[in-house]
Amino acid sequence: MLIETDVLVIGAGPAGSSTAKHAALNGADVIVIDKKSEIGAPKRCAEGVSKEGLKKLKIEPSTRWVTRELSGVRLIAPNGTGVWLNEEKVKLPEAGYILERKVFDKHMAMDAARAGAKIMVKTLAKGIRREGDYLFATLETMGEEFEVKAKIVVGADGPESRMGRFLGLKTTLKPKNMESCAQFEMVNVKMEDPDSIEFYFGSVAPGGYAWIFPKGDDIANVGLGILTTETDKSAYDHLLEFVKNNPSTQNAQPVELNIGGDPVGGMLKELVTDNFMLVGDAASQVNPLTGGGIIAAMEAGVYAGEVAAAAVKDGDYSAKKLSKYQERCEENIGVKFKRDLKVKDYLQSLSDEELNSIADAFQDIELDTINTAELIKQLIKVSPKALLKLGKLF
Amino acid sequence: MYCGECAGVCPRSLIEVRENSLKFDKKNCKECTICIQVCPVQALAKEE
Ligand SMILES: Cc1cc2nc3c(=O)[nH]c(=O)nc-3n(C[C@H](O)[C@H](O)[C@H](O)COP(=O)(O)OP(=O)(O)OC[C@H]3O[C@@H](n4cnc5c(N)ncnc54)[C@H](O)[C@@H]3O)c2cc1C
Ligand code: SF4
Repeated sequence: MLIETDVLVIGAGPAGSSTAKHAALNGADVIVIDKKSEIGAPKRCAEGVSKEGLKKLKIEPSTRWVTRELSGVRLIAPNGTGVWLNEEKVKLPEAGYILERKVFDKHMAMDAARAGAKIMVKTLAKGIRREGDYLFATLETMGEEFEVKAKIVVGADGPESRMGRFLGLKTTLKPKNMESCAQFEMVNVKMEDPDSIEFYFGSVAPGGYAWIFPKGDDIANVGLGILTTETDKSAYDHLLEFVKNNPSTQNAQPVELNIGGDPVGGMLKELVTDNFMLVGDAASQVNPLTGGGIIAAMEAGVYAGEVAAAAVKDGDYSAKKLSKYQERCEENIGVKFKRDLKVKDYLQSLSDEELNSIADAFQDIELDTINTAELIKQLIKVSPKALLKLGKLF
Repeated sequence: MYCGECAGVCPRSLIEVRENSLKFDKKNCKECTICIQVCPVQALAKEE
C-alpha cells in the first residue's frame, strides 16, 4: 500500500500536533502519525507551562486540561532554605498552569484534525528513504507495513528521535546533554503552599534539579532530572531518596511512575535537510535551564507548519527553502536557549554550600519583577562566582 | 517502560522504541553501554 501526502508529521506530541495544525491551516495536505494507541499517554512530563507561553500561542486555557493555576514559585537550597517568588512578580518559564498532559496532547491533536490533518494512531515510523524529489517513510500499524510518499516529512518524534538520522542529520545526544528523569504522580502530598511549584537544587539531583508540581490540593508530580555523567545512581534511586527525605512526601503514595529523557543541551545546529524538518524534543528545543519544552515545541511547530505549507505552495522542498524554519527557530528560541545554557552550566558548578549561602543572601532582597534575566542579575549581586561566569551575559 | 531515553543517545541508532517493546539491533552493537548509563530505571544490562 502507498499513501501520498504533502506533509507527513511523525509524532503527535505538542510539536507534531502544532506542526500539523499550522501546515493544514495554511493549505497543505497533512498526515500525522503516532506509535501510541492513546496520544499523550503515558506522560513524560511534570506538566508545567507558563501563562505567557500559551498566550503567545493563542491557546485559551481550558478546564478540561488545566489541573491547577499557580500563584508562586519556591526555590529551595540543599539546607531547606526557600526563596519564595509570587505570581505577580514572577515571569519564570513553566510557572503558570499545571496541565493534564494526557488530555492536553489529545486536545492539541484534535485541533490539528479540525484544521484538516489526518491522524493515524498506533502507527510506527520505521525508516525514511529519499527517491527523486520525495521522501518515502516506512510505517507499521497493527503488524502491517506500508509506505507514505511525502513532499515533506517532519520529525516530531520526541527524545527518542531517529528520523533525522536516517537522512544524515546529527541528532544523537551525548549523556551530558540528556537529563535522565523519574517522577511519581503522588497523593497525600503536603506542600507548604499547594498553589506554588517547588524546585530543589544541589546534590539531591546531580546535574539537574528535583521538583514538586501541585496538580490538586494533595496531588502533585514529584520528580527529578539528573545527568548520569554526574552520579552513579539511577534517576529512580535518586527519586526514592528524595521522596523518603522530603517533608512534603512523608505520607504520600504514588499513583503513577513516569520516566523519560529531557534533551537539555541546547537546540541542535541543523534542523533541516532537503524535504525534512526536525521539531520539538527531536530538535532539542527544550529550555536547557528549566527542562521545559512544551511551549518551545509548539512555537517551533507553528513555524514548521507555516514553512512547510509555503514550500508545498511553491513546489520547492529544498533545504534552502526550509531553512526559513531554522532561521525563525534560531531567532525566537535558540538565542534565549544559548544564554540559559550558560546559566545552567553556572548553577551546576555550585556546591551545596554555595547554593545555601546564595539562598540566605536572597532572603534580604526585595524583588520587584522577576524573570530569568532579572533573577540572574540578583544572583550576580550576591555571588562573586556568578559575576565571573555570567557577568558578560547581562 | 519504553521512555526512549536509550534510543536518543545510542550513537549507532540501533534501538527502535515501539509502543510496548524495544527492538535492539544487537548484531551492530559495539557495547559502548551509553544506553545502560542513561536509563532512568536501570532496565538495561550488559550481557555476560
Ligand atoms: C520527566 C519530565 C518532566 C518534564 N516536565 C516538563 C514541564 O513541566 N514543562 C515543560 O514544558 N516540559 C517538560 N518536559 C519536557 C516536555 O515533556 C517535552 O519537551 C515535550 O513533550 C516535547 O514535545 P514533543 O512533541 O517534541 O515530544 P513528545 O511529547 O515526546 O512527543 C513525541 C511523540 O512522537 C511519538 N513517536 C516517537 N517516535 C515515533 C515513531 N518512530 N513513530 C511514530 N511516533 C513516534 C511518541 O509516541 C510521542 O507521542 C519534561 C520532560 C520530562 C522527561
Ligand atoms: S530501556 Fe530504559 S531508557 Fe530504554 S526505553 Fe526502557 S526505560 Fe527507557
